[in-house]
Amino acid sequence: MVQRLTQLLSRIDRRIVFLVVSLSVIIPLIIELPLPIPIAPESRKLFERVEEIPDGSRVILTFDYYPSTLAETEPMSVAALRHLWRKDMKIVTLSTVGTGGPNIADRVMATLAEEFDKEYGIDYVNLGYKANYQAVLLGLGKSIRSIYPTDFYGTPLDSIPLMRDIDDYGAFEFIYIVSDNGIVDYWIGLVNAQYGIEMGAGVTAVMAPKFYAYVRAQQLIGLLGGMKGAAEYEELIGHKALATSGMGAQSMVHIAIIVFIILGNVSFFLGRRKS
Amino acid sequence: MTPNLIQFLELSVAGFLTLCIFSFLYKDNPFYRLAEHIYAGLSAGYYAGLIWHSVIVQQLWIPITDEGKFVLIIPGILGLLMFTRFSKNLTYLSRVSIAFVMGNTAGITLMQQLHGYVLPQTRDTIAGLLGGDGTAAMIGAWVIFVGVVSTLIYFYFSKEHKGVLGVTARIGIVFIMISFGAHFGYTVMGRVSLLIGRFQFLMRDWLHLIN
Amino acid sequence: MIIAFFSGEENVSAFSQEQLVWVTIVAGFALLLGVVSITRVSVNSVRQKKKDWPYKIVLLVFLAASTIGAVFEGTERGTVYDWLFQNMNAPMMSTMFSMLAFFIASAAYRAFRARTIEATILLITATIVMLGRVPMGQVIYSHLPGITDWIMNYPNLSVQRGIIIGAALGAASMSLRIVLGIERTYLGRS
Repeated sequence: MVQRLTQLLSRIDRRIVFLVVSLSVIIPLIIELPLPIPIAPESRKLFERVEEIPDGSRVILTFDYYPSTLAETEPMSVAALRHLWRKDMKIVTLSTVGTGGPNIADRVMATLAEEFDKEYGIDYVNLGYKANYQAVLLGLGKSIRSIYPTDFYGTPLDSIPLMRDIDDYGAFEFIYIVSDNGIVDYWIGLVNAQYGIEMGAGVTAVMAPKFYAYVRAQQLIGLLGGMKGAAEYEELIGHKALATSGMGAQSMVHIAIIVFIILGNVSFFLGRRKS
Repeated sequence: MTPNLIQFLELSVAGFLTLCIFSFLYKDNPFYRLAEHIYAGLSAGYYAGLIWHSVIVQQLWIPITDEGKFVLIIPGILGLLMFTRFSKNLTYLSRVSIAFVMGNTAGITLMQQLHGYVLPQTRDTIAGLLGGDGTAAMIGAWVIFVGVVSTLIYFYFSKEHKGVLGVTARIGIVFIMISFGAHFGYTVMGRVSLLIGRFQFLMRDWLHLIN
Repeated sequence: MIIAFFSGEENVSAFSQEQLVWVTIVAGFALLLGVVSITRVSVNSVRQKKKDWPYKIVLLVFLAASTIGAVFEGTERGTVYDWLFQNMNAPMMSTMFSMLAFFIASAAYRAFRARTIEATILLITATIVMLGRVPMGQVIYSHLPGITDWIMNYPNLSVQRGIIIGAALGAASMSLRIVLGIERTYLGRS
């Protein structure tokens, strides 16, 4: 009996695992479980700091992510943008990621600009992408125009009303980074360290554990981690969207994976006891 | 064609390619191979288009022709020298460009690492050890201090982990295992989120099966 | 760059700023190396009718479509370049990475065993964090999010800080070696 149980538990076909994971995602998306969203302290810190920024201030919002992590990072960008535009902030956006960053920024900003009645060139500007993020981040501190002679669309910066009296980090109150790669370290190590400008970051869950050290050292004001972080921010700004709707599925899959780990270990220990 | 139909066709293209990639979960097949090669071609083409506009047009052509910044011809030439890597006889010329980029990067990195990471992180590790923000904060600061020191000692392999060093390294392993466990938990969370995103696209945006 | 960090002198600052601009330009060309490489390999495959050569034609067609679209039409919304990115490239890239969820579940089931004390600590922590970071965790046990916060802000933070400091010292010493010419492996010499 024990031997049969051990064999059964240790030989679950991986396609069964894939099927259980798929169903754990699909069913909660259809049924929609109403779950509370506990807010992590670092998410709240980020929200509260942005709330304190005077309305109408200039902020940099970065789209430093690849299309591969859109599910985690785009909800953060959207929630951040809603928050910033609710406070009528003027936004300069740029991307240090070549694959997709500028085009994702283009799409997201334009979609929300319609909703908030914001005009390109007056309320927001997309600078686009330039290669070698170290040089870009450091160079922007002295002269934005030397690194970005034009915006993403090829318009000279002097022709853009918002950019007329902006040429370095000193013009900005805050930098809101949304990223899925190590560029956040460079923002912190180059920009925050050398220019002292405050920043907060929304990062993927894979990266989030590292950045707690920066939050404690106040090199980052706050941190959003993964889709859960995006859901927390949606909760804080009072506009539940994609990230919140994914939390039921997130919970179910986590429970499914924990069950599989337990099953694997039960079969391991039963097998060890037998031998 | 109505805008709704066009949008549905666009979503269908994305949906079809999504399913082609997912088909790999069953086994490798021609649909997956096709999608994979389309993806590789588009990724390369994306970079080509991006660099054409953001570097060649915006950073070279416009400043040189409209603003007379002829000095930018030099980095243009350095950039072109990169392509000598493809020639067996001329590949040594690409080293000039590589050395230029590496030299600048090394100089930036040296100060960035010390000024941006080592000093602030060390400062925060030591601050709070003697209290000032209450007992609970001080205990927390000491937990962090012990964790940081024991982690650094665990990764110090120039001396054998014996005696005091050995005990500290053992404490370090406990901290490291807790951190790696947390990391694993977050990694699972991250990967699952990406899967949820794709299912949301398929079920909501494309097939309208959910709100 | 190092002198510019310490010096407030205007000429030094202007020179270093110009260097940064040049680096962004040269680095941009470096990114094209990959494009040229994949084109050469694919054209070679087609010419020599190697394995999967029809797929290489597909690769080249889409590479050309994206590049030509960008050169003649631009890269913003409404262009062929952007359409190919938003409706083909981005969904495929997202899907490729999303498959990792299946593989991580399968790997966790097959390989994640509490064989030793260290592995058990790792397993227990992973379980606490996986439950504590989802809304269901609070429903199961109300203090789970708080415990998770403590784990992230103390033991996890201290290890990550140790790694940050250690890695930063390593990177700084490597940079110094490059600046002093001791490290030359990036040039392709031994």
